[in-house]
Amino acid sequence: MDYKTVKKEAPGRGEVEILAETYEAGEPVGEDAGRWRQKLESRDEKLRYLESGERYWYSDDWFGSEKRKNPA
Amino acid sequence: MAEEEKISKSIDKASLELIEKAAKDGVNTAFDRADTMKPCPIGAVGSCCKNCGMGPCRVPLPKGKEETPEDKLKRRGICGATAETIAARNFIRMVAGGAAAHSDHGRGVAELFLAVANGKAPGYEIKDEQKLLQLALDWGIEIGDRSNNEIAIDIGEKALAEFGKQEGELITLRKAPLKRQELWRQQGISPRGIDREIVEIMHRTHIGVDQDFKSLLKQGVRAAIGDGWGGSMIATELQDILFGTPAPVLGKANLGVLEEDEVNIIIHGHEPLLSEMIVAAAQEPEMIELAKSKGAKGINLAGMCCTANEILMRHGVAIAGNFLQQELAIVTGAVDAMVVDVQCIMQSIQTVAECYHTKIITTSPKAKITGAIHIEFDEHDALKSAREIVTTAIENFPNRKGNIYVPDEQTVQIAGFSHETINYLLGGMFRASYRPLNDNIINGRIRGVAGVVGCNNARVKHNEGHVVMVKELIKNDVIVLTTGCNAIACAEAGLMVPEAAAKYAGKGLAEVCETVGIPPVLHLGSCVDNSRILIAATAMVKDGGLGDDISDLPVAGAAPEWMSEKAISIGQYFVASGVYTVFGVTWPTEGSKEVTDYLFKDMEDMVGGMWAFEPDPIKAAHLMIEHIDKKRKALGIDKARERVLYDMEMRREMEAA
Repeated sequence: MDYKTVKKEAPGRGEVEILAETYEAGEPVGEDAGRWRQKLESRDEKLRYLESGERYWYSDDWFGSEKRKNPA
Repeated sequence: MAEEEKISKSIDKASLELIEKAAKDGVNTAFDRADTMKPCPIGAVGSCCKNCGMGPCRVPLPKGKEETPEDKLKRRGICGATAETIAARNFIRMVAGGAAAHSDHGRGVAELFLAVANGKAPGYEIKDEQKLLQLALDWGIEIGDRSNNEIAIDIGEKALAEFGKQEGELITLRKAPLKRQELWRQQGISPRGIDREIVEIMHRTHIGVDQDFKSLLKQGVRAAIGDGWGGSMIATELQDILFGTPAPVLGKANLGVLEEDEVNIIIHGHEPLLSEMIVAAAQEPEMIELAKSKGAKGINLAGMCCTANEILMRHGVAIAGNFLQQELAIVTGAVDAMVVDVQCIMQSIQTVAECYHTKIITTSPKAKITGAIHIEFDEHDALKSAREIVTTAIENFPNRKGNIYVPDEQTVQIAGFSHETINYLLGGMFRASYRPLNDNIINGRIRGVAGVVGCNNARVKHNEGHVVMVKELIKNDVIVLTTGCNAIACAEAGLMVPEAAAKYAGKGLAEVCETVGIPPVLHLGSCVDNSRILIAATAMVKDGGLGDDISDLPVAGAAPEWMSEKAISIGQYFVASGVYTVFGVTWPTEGSKEVTDYLFKDMEDMVGGMWAFEPDPIKAAHLMIEHIDKKRKALGIDKARERVLYDMEMRREMEAA
C-alpha cells in the first residue's frame, strides 16, 4: 500500500515529512466500490494479510479457542 | 383462475401475475402440474424400494393404527430388506445424488482451472492471487518466487486428485475446526476421496449388500462431508481464484429486471464457467451494435437460480428469479434466449418456450433437452461459445410474438458476503476479525446465526417458507446467512439491504447491522457456496469464546422449501459438521420410525448435530431459536453477567484462594 505523506513545519526542525491520512475518503463510488481485495497489491502484502487477517488458519502465534495453552 | 387459488401459489406479486398470464396463454406450468399430480405417498416417506427387478417393493406403515410387532415383521421387501433398510437406502441415495451433483460441478471447475494454469483456456485468468496463495498455504504447495500459473498447476492437479483419491482423507478437511477433524476420524467418517464415498453408497445400497440402517446412514454422512468440505469447497475456492472472491455488490432481483425493449438473455443453472464469458461477450461493442441493428436498445443479462447467484456475487448482474420462476420468465414473452447448463433446469422450459419465441440453449454435454438448441461450451475457446450464444439471442429478438408482459416488481439487494469479506467488514484491513460477531453473540445483541438455504418446492406456496422463516429469525436477533433459492426469495422480499435491519430485525441485531452497515440477511452465494457457511462457522470457533467446535456454537441450519437431492446432501453435511438442521415441506424417511429417530436424535451422539422436520416455517424458526438458546446456555452466555474490574487486592485474594 502506498502511504501519503505531507510536509509540515516542526518546532526547531524546520520542514519535516510526516505521514498523512491513512483512511479512505468518505463514500466509495463507482464499479470498484466494496472491492477491498484490490487494496493489497504485492504478493508480500497478500501473504502478510493472510497471516494477520486470516490468522485463524495462517498464523503461528494466534491463540484462539483451539490453540490455547491448556486445551479444553 | 380464482383469486384464492392463484394467491395460494406464491407470495410474490410478479409470479402471481405471470401465473395468471400463463393460464390465459394456455401454458402449463409446474404450479398446474403440482395441482393435478399428487406425490406418491409411499415413495414420499421412503417406503418404496426399486433397487432390483423383483420390486418395486412397497412397505408403507399401516394406515390409521399402531403397528404391531407382527405387522412390522411383515414390512419387508421380497429380498427381506426391512422398512428401515429401505428408508436408509433411499435416503443415502439422495445424499449420493446431491453430493455427485455438487462435486461434479467442483470437478468441472478444477479441470478448467488446470487448463487456465496451463495456458489452454484463453479468455480466463487468475483474478484473485490472494486466494491462490491461501489455497497454496492450505495445501502445502510451495509459493516462493514461483509464478501464479506455476502455483496454480500444482493446485489444479491436487484438486483433481481429491476426487479420485482412494485412501487417507481429503486435504480440504484441514480447514475444519481441529476438534471436528478429530471427531470425524474417531467415528471413521472422514471421506477418503470425493468420488469413492459416492460410489460406495451406490454399492452398499445395491441389493444384498449393507443391510443395517445405521451403517448405511453412516456412509451417507461420510459422502456428505465429502461434498460440503470437499467437492463444493473445491468449487467455491477455485471459482474465487478464477473469477474473484465476492465483495459487496449492488444488484436487483425479480422478474421486473427484464427489459421490454432490450435483448433479454437469461443464464440459468449452476456453473459460472460459461456465464462469466457470456457476461463479457454481452458487453462487447459489436454485440451491442448488432442488438441495436435488430431494433433493440441493448442487451440485458439476467440470472436464474444459482448461476444467477454466481454472477450477481461477482458482477452485480440482476437476478430474474429462483427455481419456480424459470417458466414464468419465459411466460413474459420477453426472453429471447434462456441459456442453461446443469442442475434444477425444468425440462418443461422447452415446452413453455414453444408457446412464445424464446430459444432454449443447452450448453453442457451432460445436460441436453429434447427440442432445445445445443451450443456446447468449449473451455478452450469459451468466448467463441459465448459470442455464438449472445448472437443467437440477438437474432431472435425480431421474432417476438407481441404477447409481452413484464411485471414491475424488482427489488434492490446487496450481495457478495464471502467469508473473507465478512472478516474484512468486521475488522478492516489491519485487524480483520470475527471478534465483533463473537462479542455481540456473547453480549446477547445477536442471539445466534442461522444458515437458511435450499430450493423452491411446488408443493408449498412459492417463497413463503423462506421469507416467513427468515423474518422470524431476524426478528428474534438471529443473523441469517443464506445461499441458493432462499437468497433469491429474501432479495425479492427486500431483506437484503441494510435498511431491512431497522424494519425487520430485533433491536440487538439491528444495532449491530447499523454499526457495521450490513443487511440482517447476508448473501453468501450459490449452493456450492454453502461451503462458505462452513468456513464462517469455523472462523467463529477459531476466534474463541464460543466453544471449541461448530457443535458448540449457537447456530442452526434450515431448508424450508427443499426439493432436490442436493439439499439433502447439504443438510447432511451441515448435520455432520455439528449443526442442528430443520427441513420443511416433507421428510423422506417418515416410513421408518427407527431411521427417522436416528436422524433426529441419535445422530447427535455421533456428530453433535441432528436433523429435524417442521413444515410450518414459524414453528421451524422457533425450533432453531430453542436450539440456539440451548447452546447459549451450555456456553454460559444465556444471562447477562455483571462485569467486575478486578483491582490488585482482589487479584491477590483470588490467587490466595
